[in-house]
Amino acid sequence: MLYRVINADELPALIEAFMKDYEVVAPVAKGKSFAFEPIASFDEIVLDYPTTLTSLKKYYLPPKETLFEFNTGGGGDGIEPYEMSVKPRVLFGAHACDINALNNLNLVFDDSRYPDPYYDAHRKATMIVGISCSPTSTCFCHLLESDEVRSGYDLFLTDIGDRYFVSIGSVEAANILEAACDPREADDEDRSSFRKATRARQEAFDEGIPHIQEIPMLMDAFHSDEFWDELGGRCLSCTACSSVCPTCYCFDIVDVLDPSGATGRRDRVWDACTSPQFALVTGGHNFRSSTKERVRHRMYHKLNGFNSQHGRYLCVGCGRCVRACKADISPIEVLRFFEKKGADDAE
Amino acid sequence: MTDTANIPRVVLVGLASCFGCQINITNVEKHLMDVLGQIDMRYWQLTSSDPMPEDIDVAVIEGAVTTEEAKRTVEDLRSRAGVVMTIGACANTAGIPGIASRAYDGRQHEVYGEHVPALVEDIAFVPQAVHDVVEVDYEVPCCPIDPMDFVKTLQNALYGSNVYRHSSTLCGECKRNERGCFFGRETLCLGLVTRSGCGARCPNLGRPCNGCAGLSPDANVESARHAAEKSNIDVRAFDSALEIFNMIGMGEQRV
Repeated sequence: MLYRVINADELPALIEAFMKDYEVVAPVAKGKSFAFEPIASFDEIVLDYPTTLTSLKKYYLPPKETLFEFNTGGGGDGIEPYEMSVKPRVLFGAHACDINALNNLNLVFDDSRYPDPYYDAHRKATMIVGISCSPTSTCFCHLLESDEVRSGYDLFLTDIGDRYFVSIGSVEAANILEAACDPREADDEDRSSFRKATRARQEAFDEGIPHIQEIPMLMDAFHSDEFWDELGGRCLSCTACSSVCPTCYCFDIVDVLDPSGATGRRDRVWDACTSPQFALVTGGHNFRSSTKERVRHRMYHKLNGFNSQHGRYLCVGCGRCVRACKADISPIEVLRFFEKKGADDAE
Repeated sequence: MTDTANIPRVVLVGLASCFGCQINITNVEKHLMDVLGQIDMRYWQLTSSDPMPEDIDVAVIEGAVTTEEAKRTVEDLRSRAGVVMTIGACANTAGIPGIASRAYDGRQHEVYGEHVPALVEDIAFVPQAVHDVVEVDYEVPCCPIDPMDFVKTLQNALYGSNVYRHSSTLCGECKRNERGCFFGRETLCLGLVTRSGCGARCPNLGRPCNGCAGLSPDANVESARHAAEKSNIDVRAFDSALEIFNMIGMGEQRV
């Protein structure tokens, strides 16, 4: 990996350079919160945003995306030639957890047995510029190995005072950086500042969120614990958790007719395993008919199931579901449960 | 069109309601002829005084069942139509007319005093949602309905569909709209227990959900009350707001 340093006041020039050829999406203020949205100027960006309401996954996997169009009359198979429109885009200001989240989605959609040209097209047209952050009270990325990101970005900017320590991940981004700014080699002072910034971040996490070892193993060990009845019993079945989650990728396919009934389109729409109908199958059986089973399933996929397939947690500890769930259901509650179990055993 | 043998015969009947859902269907002028072209509209209470035909395939019902006569009408439609579809909150949950269902007995005396007119006695009937009287195949939610939702549901009935109705509540859709939560502003919203499907349209326009899509069959009212309490929202206010469209649906969930 190549590292360079730029001055903070060079950032607007970098953004402007990206805006020449790309739609630039960045964190902006929205109501009492923040959102990733296309920007028209550098001034809109809130560089030190705490977190956003929803994640960047919408740019790879839109909440609703047309896959193709069809006609119900006429000849042939009725499938209309369809070309998806993909915008070359820069996702600017992604935190480490969110880039790790996109890396996780890539692991899923990269599966050569099930190629996904739609996801792939968005991904290939997207550049990612990450930025360092300071944890909020709901952040627990450090407990799930997602507070640092080593790949999956084109540039990653670490704030080291009046300048940025820039980790360069792609030639394309390096060229733009080179042309727009005056990147220089890092000196000892830069490196020292970088270490200090990293340490400051590590020390800023909420100590109240328990650090648990061997989470996937504990998930298996306590699969039948009544804790899941209690946690699931609170679930509102609203699916807010998966809407805001950067790594929930489940979708449904729906055919939608135009009012004429003669033409229509096949859409991919977000689905959620916390939706009561998610595991309902033909014949009427529902494999996860209770909130207990659905909440437990979601937590298992995030903290156990994905690990056995891909060797890392699916949950990146971004804390969005912690904020979105009005019933206080989140992976943090699971970690607290394990902590309590440990304390009970010690007695 | 000369061959009408396979054209579905549709009737649209209004019961206790404001007729706003029927009016809303006429509001999609742009697509109305497209839709009417796919069906044989035999009877439409709002637009014609022609008598109800004998043979029907699809019965669309607006409004709550609030009289014995309405009950008979609904039962008659069910026995004759292959498909029964209800549109709007009044038909689906008994909606506003349903508010009268609580403590119904004795209500006439509150209004008329000791001597209740015979006519009132005769038609007295505890308001009910259509699905509490007969089996309903399709429901188009909300007050008023989204007319495009009606078109889609009608097409589901005519041609079949791979779209199923979720019983998840509204907040997931609200988050897809990237909206913060009213509860964070200590403002009452019924999205936590209201069935999704409308796209969280009101919250997206800055207004809290009033529950017009109906209580989800999977609503966790107890947990929602607890969430309200934590956000400094009066639980009684939460319950009475919920009664506006869900007086009957709340049923045993009432505290």
